[in-house]
Amino acid sequence: MLSSIDPNAGRKPGVFLGVKLMKIRLLAALLFLSCHIAVAQGENLAVNENGKLIYYEVVKLEGITSDLLRNRLDAYLKKQKTLKVKSAVGDSAILANGKFVINKTLLVMSHPSGEVLYSFNAEVKEGKYRFWLSDFGFVPYQRDRYGNFVAATAKATPLEENPGKLNEGQWKEYRTQTAKYVQDFAAKLKQYMANEKPVEIPAPEKKVVSKSW
Amino acid sequence: MKIKTLLSTFTALGFTATAYAQESSGSPLQISGSVDTYYKYDLNKASNIKTYFANEQNSVSLGMIDLALKKSTGKASFVGELSFGPRGQSQSIPNAAGTYDEKTNSFHIQNLYISYAFTDKFNIAAGYMGTFVGYEVISPAANFNYSTSYLFGSGPFQNAGIKASYTFSDQVSLMAGLFNDWNVYQDFNGVSHIGAQLTLSPLSGWTAYLNFLSGRSAGAAGTGTIFDLTTAYQITDQFKMGLNAANYTISNNNGGYAGVALYPQYAFTKAVALGLRAEYFNYKGAAGTQDAAVASFTLSGNIKSGGLTFIPEVRLDSDKDFSQGFLKRNGLTATKNASQFSLAAVYAF
Repeated sequence: MLSSIDPNAGRKPGVFLGVKLMKIRLLAALLFLSCHIAVAQGENLAVNENGKLIYYEVVKLEGITSDLLRNRLDAYLKKQKTLKVKSAVGDSAILANGKFVINKTLLVMSHPSGEVLYSFNAEVKEGKYRFWLSDFGFVPYQRDRYGNFVAATAKATPLEENPGKLNEGQWKEYRTQTAKYVQDFAAKLKQYMANEKPVEIPAPEKKVVSKSW
Repeated sequence: MKIKTLLSTFTALGFTATAYAQESSGSPLQISGSVDTYYKYDLNKASNIKTYFANEQNSVSLGMIDLALKKSTGKASFVGELSFGPRGQSQSIPNAAGTYDEKTNSFHIQNLYISYAFTDKFNIAAGYMGTFVGYEVISPAANFNYSTSYLFGSGPFQNAGIKASYTFSDQVSLMAGLFNDWNVYQDFNGVSHIGAQLTLSPLSGWTAYLNFLSGRSAGAAGTGTIFDLTTAYQITDQFKMGLNAANYTISNNNGGYAGVALYPQYAFTKAVALGLRAEYFNYKGAAGTQDAAVASFTLSGNIKSGGLTFIPEVRLDSDKDFSQGFLKRNGLTATKNASQFSLAAVYAF
């Protein structure tokens, strides 16, 4: 006998299964859509006149001298462990090489699958500066004899290159992650250059008075 | 069926992802590994070529499943690598009793060590570690050829011990350490070996390792000393050349070996590459016995799709001194030559 409060009461077993399948399909569609949107938002690196992927931005900071901007830029680069200054042209331009690691994750497991190398250029002028990241190249990692992930090749493959059908999906992901990294990088750099560092308020010292209790 | 399909879609879409690593003091637990299987056919219908791993004749056979865990917290990290299957048990690691036996349980351990990075340049590691000697390794995912060289099979597989590494510059680093006897969990005659590795990177894409390991193993007739050069140079985007040369001598005229192997490799695309291994290997005679030499040529393809690599391989070995026991098709007559074809599938994750 069927209970009167059972929401499936009176339904045929086939109908119940059909509703369940519908729900699963709907959930799968939503999941697919959300993944698709996430990928689409990340893929926004521009291409320059030479067909190379690039992130380029001019930032105006009215009233700030070029010397001060250069000092801030130098200080910012000095703090970045993964950026190495390659050359500086006079007081206004700077070139650095950087890299970041891409991780592959599956539920709780994760390991590095490779690193992306890039070049960072910046120039300062009175009241403004510009910077661009380009020459993105991917170096795959492979596990070495000690269980550590290390570069599998010495030469990076430009991210603009077509990897062929066999590795197309993976390559697309590398580009997506590069775009995300670059956006984060740009946001942090702009915040630092604008001197918008969050003010750190020192926590009040806790005093323990043990004489009176 | 439909639910199964949907679940696999969920797995593919929802749970597998790539993400760039953000800076933090600790890293998540890394889980990685590989799975491999192969088919081998010897043209003389025997398991003539006895170098490691692709041994079983006319059979779809197992390699191993290899699972590695790594975790770093601050300056400390550990690696634990376990393997299951012929390649990862009796063929490459001793069991608890210290012997290579398929019938008794193994510890399953390829790597088990803890390391501490005192600075960006100075690191100390202790435990049971894959050897620092030689070009080829046990894991099929890190080798280009599926079958292995005589140099690989004759050298150490693991070195338990404690080692310190110092990086002088991007071009030079040095490792030195104290080690157990080759391939043992416990050293019954005390920590008896010293070893060192000088790493040089003179040009972009070129790395050379000069390795040294010396000591007297428990029950050995003499002190064994190995000098080994392992180097690889990515000359162009497509062409890479590797070289391994080693000389091993056991004191008091107790034999040893010497050999050299070249590894030219050419990548036609990112997914398809072809590589040759050309090796000359000499077993040194002990106590007045004659040396015995072997030459081996192995041509392998690597066809990659994501984590999967197919390795079709043809191998020809020449044993002019009849040291390898190669037999003709009749299974009775000795022959100098052996040849085999194999097809392996290796999946790394």
